[in-house]
Formats: sequence, C-alpha cells, structure tokens
Amino acid sequence: MAVGPLLLLVPFVVAIAARNRLGILADDDVRLWSTLFVSICVQALPFLVLGVVISGLIAAFVSPDLVQRIVPKRSLFAVPSAGLAGMALPGCECGSVPIAGRLVSAGTPPAAALTFLLAAPAINPVVLVSTAVAFPNDRMMVLARFLASFLAAITVGTWWARRSESSLLDALRDDHDHDDTRWHRFVDVSSRDLVHAGGYLVVGALAAATLQLIVPRSVIDSVADNELLAVVVLAILAVVLSICSEADAFVASGLPQFSLSSRLVFLVVGPVIDLKLVAMHSGVFGRAFALRFAPVTFVVAVLSAVLIGQVLL
Amino acid sequence: MARAAVLCSLGMVTLRLIWSGGYGWFVQQRMQIPLLVAGVILLVLGLVEAWGASREERSDPTSIRRSAGPAVGLMLMLPLLVLIAVAPTGLGAAAAGRVDAYNPTDTAETFAPLPDAAEPPLKVLDFLGRAVWDSERSLEGVPVVLEGIVVNDPDAPDGFLLTRFMVSCCAADGIPLQVRLRGVTEPYADDTWVRAVVQWIPPDVPYEDQGDNWVVEAEVIRIEVGETPADPYESPY
Repeated sequence: MAVGPLLLLVPFVVAIAARNRLGILADDDVRLWSTLFVSICVQALPFLVLGVVISGLIAAFVSPDLVQRIVPKRSLFAVPSAGLAGMALPGCECGSVPIAGRLVSAGTPPAAALTFLLAAPAINPVVLVSTAVAFPNDRMMVLARFLASFLAAITVGTWWARRSESSLLDALRDDHDHDDTRWHRFVDVSSRDLVHAGGYLVVGALAAATLQLIVPRSVIDSVADNELLAVVVLAILAVVLSICSEADAFVASGLPQFSLSSRLVFLVVGPVIDLKLVAMHSGVFGRAFALRFAPVTFVVAVLSAVLIGQVLL
Repeated sequence: MARAAVLCSLGMVTLRLIWSGGYGWFVQQRMQIPLLVAGVILLVLGLVEAWGASREERSDPTSIRRSAGPAVGLMLMLPLLVLIAVAPTGLGAAAAGRVDAYNPTDTAETFAPLPDAAEPPLKVLDFLGRAVWDSERSLEGVPVVLEGIVVNDPDAPDGFLLTRFMVSCCAADGIPLQVRLRGVTEPYADDTWVRAVVQWIPPDVPYEDQGDNWVVEAEVIRIEVGETPADPYESPY
C-alpha cells in the first residue's frame, strides 16, 4: 500500500522530463495541468485541516462511552439522525472523510458514520446556498438536491447496517495509546490524519487533473439530447472532475444543453463519490472497503437523483 | 520527523502563497482567511511534532521511533514540487479553448442602474447578463470598461475574445466568460491583459434564436494593455 501511490509519480516525472524532446505535451498543457492539480489541492487544504482538527478533537475528547450515550442504539434512528447531523458541517467532502474515520474508531456504528460521510458534503447550508445562486430560476433544484442527496446517504447507511460482514471496518476501532495525555493525542491524531488523508487527496487530485485534461468536451456535448446517455455521462463526469461540492452547481449551470434532471444526477453523485474520494476512502477505511463502497454509492446516488428528478423537476 | 517536515513545509508554502498573493491564481479571494488559518495550524502541528520527536529521541535514543506513518504522506510534497518546478500561472487562453464559454441563461431580468461614470467599469458577467436579459437595454449606446485577457479567435479576424474566467471555488471549476470584440486594429498576443472601452452591439437575431454557441459582441472604442489585476477571476456571486 505504501509504495503503490508513489509509482504514479513515475509517468509524471517521465512526462515532464521528456516533454521537450518528444513534444508529447505542449508547455501550455503542462502549465494548465499544474494549475488544475495545484488548485484542487489548495482548495481542499483548509477543509482538510478543519476535518483533521475535528477528528483530533473526537479522538482526544469523545470516549466510546459518550458515543454510546449520544448515538441512538437502533440504526433505524441512528442513520437518519447522522444524515441530518451532516447539515452542521459547512465544508466540502475532503474534511468529512477523516471525521467519519475517527467517528468509527470512537465507537460510532459504522452505518451512522458512513451516512454522515455522504450527507455532510451534499446538504450543508453553504452548498445549498451556492446551488440556489447557480440556479436562480429553478428553485426546485435546491430542494431536489437536498432530498436526493439525503435519500442516497440514508439508503447507503441502511444498506451498510444490514450487511452481515460489516467487519470490514473493525480494524479502525480504538488504536488508542491509553497513557497519552489528551493534548498529546489531539496533536498526534490530527497530524497523522492530515498526512494520511492528505496524501490520498493528492493522489486523487493527480487523477482528476489528468482526466480533466484528456477527456474531450465534444464527446460530452454530443450526448446531451439522449436522456439516458446524458444521465450516465454526467454521472461519470461528476466522478472524473472531482469538483468541490460548493462549486459543482456552477459547473452544472454551465451545461444548459443538458436537462435539469440529468444535471441533478451530476450534483448528487459528485459530493458522495469521485476520484479523490475513492483515493481517500481507500486510505482511511482500507482498499477492500473502498472497492465495495464506491460502486454501491455511485449506483444509489444515480438512482435517487433520477427518482427525485422525475418527481420534482 | 518526516511527518513534522511534511507539515512544516506545507504550512510554510501555504503562508508564502498568501503573502505573495499567488493563491489568487488557484482559488477564490474569499479563501484567503481559511488558507491563512490552515497554514498556521499546519506549521504549529509540524513544530509540536518535531519538538515531541526530538524530546523522545533524547530521553531514549534506542527507542523504536513512533510509527512514521505510511509513505503516501510524502505525496503531499508533490504539489509543492509542481509549484516550484512549473510555476503555474493560472487559467489562460489554453484553458479557454477547452470549455464552452458561459452564457447567462438564468438571470434576473431587472438590473440596477449602471455605475455613475462616463465609462463605467463592469464585470464581464454583469455585461453578459445585461446584454442578454436586460429589458431596459441599459447597455445600448453606453461605452463601458471591461477587463480581461486576449484569446484570439479565427472566427473574428478583426477582433478577439475578451475573456475572464468565472471561478466559484478553485481554478479547476473555472468557466470562461467571453465577449467578442470587433473593430480591433492591431494584433494582441494571447493571454495579454487588457482594459477595453467597448460598446455593446445589439444582435441582429435574438441570442436565443442563434443556436447553441452564440457570443455577445461589442465594438471596441479603445484598448489599453494593463497589468494582471489583483483578482484574476470573477466570482459568480
């Protein structure tokens, strides 16, 4: 696991070194790629820092006993309330990954933590306001986005609660050095989570910047008239672009050739699953988990967006 | 110690980006304070880590070091290397050719009066919105000042596309805003920053009847080559 991501560096270094000799990449492309890559990282950094500070506080001050008392016992209640709790974290998706990881190690039922993970970046006030600004003449878009994202989050949470082999996440539980002071533990966990989740964030940003550059936009535009193809292509585009959930509404409003409901799919899929999130999930929760979680989340998000889109838009 | 080094360098580069204003090429201006706070937290975490690690080494030199964490953390150094090696300077003509320009399709139809000046400066987004949606036609016959970069356009030999990117979070979501200028007499290189005094050309055929890729056009009155503005992008808010 440690060496794998580093191997991604090799083609990058080769490409940079060879570009003048082989003429594969124009200088313009390298500079544009660098701008996209660095800007995804810079944009995510404050949210990542906020996320690891909260995860450090959870590790230092929230004991499993406290979690037992706060979180409802039955997943029937725990899952929707975890989803609503996601409204309180005003940020985008990079911060919620380490927080969800720490919630699990502090003893939160994984189903509830995962619901929080999916709901927080999609339904918080900042994201809903930016959606309203981007779609001033389609007010239903905000409600549709809220409902579809919430539906997707609690569906995935409930699915996880009902699984028999939920032992996939057991390794996360309690890696406590119990003799540490709380302050010590806060610093240790925050910086460890930052370097860990941040490393995977960079891997995801690499992939996203590269694909943004090599997927031709003309292919995307040519399918706008076919509703089914449009849904599939915009769902995949959301995964590939890996745009922050606060910004994706503006990108969607810039695709007026697509129907409102296919653009809703774009807005619901992006915050719950994209390239940088898959990288971060596999880092924080383990690769086996990410391989199971990503396709289910993708399908559930597409279906709930299509369903809500049919009803509301 | 490796972890402390990664955290400290991240923190310092972040603060340096704020100090030099270079962060404006990558994210919206309103990220300044969040980035500043993040940079300080990173630096403090890194220093505390380094202090803790060195104290541990001194108290027991034979102790097995605390787990340094997975090597993937070193990936965090990659954006720093790219910043140094390529020195990217934001979105320009190369990026404008890749994404369809934004045309305001959903905008309120009443607009505030134009700023009270002989040649009022306007955001490119505001100019486009008024050109397309203003029922009072406030742009008609009024020279206004637009600021943006030059993107040369084979479809307009007597002009170019004055372009400004609309960025809502980071440059990766940048969408070009474009006005095609007509009546330009001298050639300008791509990516040159210009301040142009222009006058809107009302379309012969309404925009909505022109198909998908219509462009708002304006007649040039005067062009000055300018410096890069403090905020190279426009915000949609």
